[in-house]
Amino acid sequence: MAASTTEIATKELDQRIGITTDGSQFLTFNLGDEFYGVDILRVQEIKGYTAVTKIPNTPAHIKGVVNLRGTIVPIIELRTLFNLPIIEYTPFTVIIVVVVRDKVMGLVVDSVSDVLNIDAKEIQVPPKFGAKVDVTFISGIGKFSDKLVALLDIDRLLMDGEVPEGGGLSAAQSSTSGTT
Amino acid sequence: MHDGTRTPGFRMSNDFAQFQDAFFEEAGEHLAVVEEGLLELEQHPEDVELLNKIFRSAHSIKGTSGMFGFTDIAQFTHKLETLLDLLRNGQRVVTPQVADLLLRSTDCLKSLMEAAKSGSAIDAETVQRLTSELVVSQGVGLGVLGIEKTKVSGLNSVSPTGRSRVYSISWSPPAWLLQRGLDPLQFFKELHNLGTLSQVAMDTSKLPDLGAMDPEICYLSWTIQLETNKDRKAIEAVFEFVIEDSILQIEDMTVSNSESHVAKASPQHDTQSREVETGDGLPKPLGEILVESGVVSRETLDQALAQQKKVGQILVEQHVVTPQQVEQALQKQRQQESAAQSKKTDTASIRVDTAKIDKLINLVGELVITQSMLSDLGSRFEMQQLPVLLERMVELERHTREIQERVMSIRMVPIGAAFARFPRLVRDLSTKAGKKIQLVLSGEETELDKTVIESIGDPLTHLVRNSADHGLETPEERLDNNKPEVGTIRLNAFHEGGTICITVADDGRGLNRDKILAKALTQGLISESDKPTDDQIWPLIFKPGFSTAEKVTDISGRGVGMDVVKRNIESLGGTVSIKTVKEKGTTFTLKLPLTLAIIDGMTVRIGREAYIVPLLSILESIQPKREAMKTVVGKGELINVRGTFLSMVRLYEVFNLQSEFTDPAKSILLILETEGERVAVMVDEILGQQQVVIKSMEQNFHKVEGIAGATILGDGTVGFILDVRGILEIARRGEAMAV
Amino acid sequence: MSKTALIVDDSPTMRQMVAFTLTNAGFTVFEAEHGKDAVSKVAGGPKMDIVVTDLNMPEMDGIELIKELRKLSAFKFTPILMLTTESALEKKQAGKEAGATGWIMKPFNPDVLLKTIAKVLPA
Repeated sequence: MAASTTEIATKELDQRIGITTDGSQFLTFNLGDEFYGVDILRVQEIKGYTAVTKIPNTPAHIKGVVNLRGTIVPIIELRTLFNLPIIEYTPFTVIIVVVVRDKVMGLVVDSVSDVLNIDAKEIQVPPKFGAKVDVTFISGIGKFSDKLVALLDIDRLLMDGEVPEGGGLSAAQSSTSGTT
Repeated sequence: MHDGTRTPGFRMSNDFAQFQDAFFEEAGEHLAVVEEGLLELEQHPEDVELLNKIFRSAHSIKGTSGMFGFTDIAQFTHKLETLLDLLRNGQRVVTPQVADLLLRSTDCLKSLMEAAKSGSAIDAETVQRLTSELVVSQGVGLGVLGIEKTKVSGLNSVSPTGRSRVYSISWSPPAWLLQRGLDPLQFFKELHNLGTLSQVAMDTSKLPDLGAMDPEICYLSWTIQLETNKDRKAIEAVFEFVIEDSILQIEDMTVSNSESHVAKASPQHDTQSREVETGDGLPKPLGEILVESGVVSRETLDQALAQQKKVGQILVEQHVVTPQQVEQALQKQRQQESAAQSKKTDTASIRVDTAKIDKLINLVGELVITQSMLSDLGSRFEMQQLPVLLERMVELERHTREIQERVMSIRMVPIGAAFARFPRLVRDLSTKAGKKIQLVLSGEETELDKTVIESIGDPLTHLVRNSADHGLETPEERLDNNKPEVGTIRLNAFHEGGTICITVADDGRGLNRDKILAKALTQGLISESDKPTDDQIWPLIFKPGFSTAEKVTDISGRGVGMDVVKRNIESLGGTVSIKTVKEKGTTFTLKLPLTLAIIDGMTVRIGREAYIVPLLSILESIQPKREAMKTVVGKGELINVRGTFLSMVRLYEVFNLQSEFTDPAKSILLILETEGERVAVMVDEILGQQQVVIKSMEQNFHKVEGIAGATILGDGTVGFILDVRGILEIARRGEAMAV
Repeated sequence: MSKTALIVDDSPTMRQMVAFTLTNAGFTVFEAEHGKDAVSKVAGGPKMDIVVTDLNMPEMDGIELIKELRKLSAFKFTPILMLTTESALEKKQAGKEAGATGWIMKPFNPDVLLKTIAKVLPA
């Protein structure tokens, strides 16, 4: 199903703006009113939300692990990571399964929305929002018509998952994300 | 048979490459046989049966390696085999020097095999040196080859190919033709494949009277005219198997005055065959032939070879490419090499008895039947069918378990393979250390998982080295202490419960308590005020950088090793323990799980979470009385279990969970043990016992303290497997914090 | 009916390779580890169209096997090929005297194997 929506979305997009030249494709999703994007090449699949097993003594944004066809996959709650309020899960809540360097992880998001072609020219470095919003995991801000899309830095996310407990990076992040 | 219609030769390029892995595995086994046999041969130099066995293995390696184009291996093994042949024929005797040479050659063969496997470079110098040593030991002069070679070229005058020629072939086959499964018709068919048979005349003059005739004897001979564009060799090849016993004349009729070539059993012919097969049966490099035939000297050849330039160098000199381009290309080549290497080393295979697989296929068949019956039942289920359903479920469980067991048994191999290296090792160690050591192996047939076997080789080697170097005394010292001059190292393997125990025991001097204490003090591992017990002292030798050897030898005592042993064994989910008695000896005991993939676990509940505790580490479970507990400053919470105070770990605190009980008197305490240390772990409830498949947490995440791995529970969710070691460490830290 | 072949070699790799080649060429292949194994497998069993045997084997070597097979009426005229690497002629000669039909020199490739078999296989 994910593939077909992706296809349709891509087609519509191509029809609307014509084939882009040096852009790349992003799967966009919602967290509250905000749009985020993740490089489509990193996305392995989208699956419905299933119960996770909490991993003891890990930062709050690491929600736990799930069984994905026999392998153990860690799940990251992006709302927690981005200091957004926790909401009740809805039928639209999904896990985006991403792959980076042979490692697989899942991201819990409110809902997936679209696949967008975003021209590299339209991507800007993330502005410093000040202390309130954490931009550690944002690689850039993409513009698509009137929408602003925060593009995720998947490698950073994954590195965070890899750094063992007590490691510098994860300690720093758990302090930024642990306030919720 | 449905494939009976396939044409012979159909899609038959060199497809043997796919058997390469099987070859390496088999060759490894043969090498082990050779090595083991050679060690035994040192004790029994007269044992011809043993020599035969060694010879057969070497021979097998030679034959099979050639099939894959591993000429280095085939050539070298051929030399080894030749010497072995002389030994088994009694033409040479097994002296210690010969045995030593054979052992070193086996080592060399091993490294050649490794090189072939990984595609890495060979140690050409060693190969060359051993080759000449082997040749010298055979007492066979060099240089015979070249002379024979020249003799041959003149023997076979080959007709120019391409043009059609007419040959007259007259053939009187040997009388036994039919008795060896040969049919004259076959020969004509083969000849027919070469060209046109214009005339076949049968000579029946030698046929005896019907009464005197033996139907199994061939009395006939033939004259055949063949028009072909193939040369004489091709015709001779048709008669390959009988040429030496036939009277065969092949006359080229195209050229009127051509001399007729007569080929029959003759000494000349023998020379030809021998030439083809002398030496290695493999072509030599040009330079070698030139040296052997005396055309150039070895020095001249070496000089010439030294002048040989690399392709890249030549191209740079000709300004075809830049040095940078060459460097880039070389880099790429290296990358490909290393990629190829890592790929090669990754493939591991197990040879499995076909009977095991057949049984498995049957079981899977039954499983499929049960499954289809179940889905049939499920599609139109009514409540009164419940007993049927339950019965099917039982069947399903039985089949699943049986399949699991059989699949696991495929991975089980006898530990003997891991022990095989030690006779050689101990022999070398005893020579080096100037000690007399006897090695006693037992329990070689004990089976355990192949991966475990592969991983315990190094730790075991280190323990054996340690025993030989530190444990055992010199013969003089032993005699002074009223001990037999020859020290003994015993390796034993046996099953104990669900685990396998491997012991490495020596009858040496035992661990030196004072030395270890002194070393631990200087390293700051203990303080002056500590009064450690023996059981606390011995494990100190497993600390990194800990070595009490007075002088560093090249055998052990480099201060690395014992800690690595411990780490390796623990990473396999096993434990190492030490028993030592002064002047009596030391025993190291390794306890390992039978397999790495599955463990027996106890499922426990803490709040709403389920955790799996390895059954191996559970000593007992108790419901503590309130008065058995006390809190000691600096020691944290303790629990009195029949007179011994153990630290208590509240799992819900360690893992930050919401538990049902916070009062130990209401909950369950599991007494866990690892490496001789005990700890009491508090949980809400014991849910039951089950086998679980271990899944890696590190694959997609990282190691989590206190958790050894994950598994998938019956409901499809993930459960964690407790890391008892980790829990112990957490408990220890708790003590430190409670100061 | 496809042709039947008996392969006798103590090296499983070698056996596999020969069996693989012959199976692909349409043979029904029977395997034995050594002479004794081979004799027990063919005694009263299926008739073979061809036998391919190694010479150096434990229990019963190839030469002995050939002698044993030739004693059986079912194998009196069956082509038997020896797999050999022997540099010396005496093994080949001993094989022939025992009743071997022909030989294949190791190393060989599938083509050589099939061609040699075609040479001796009864039409």
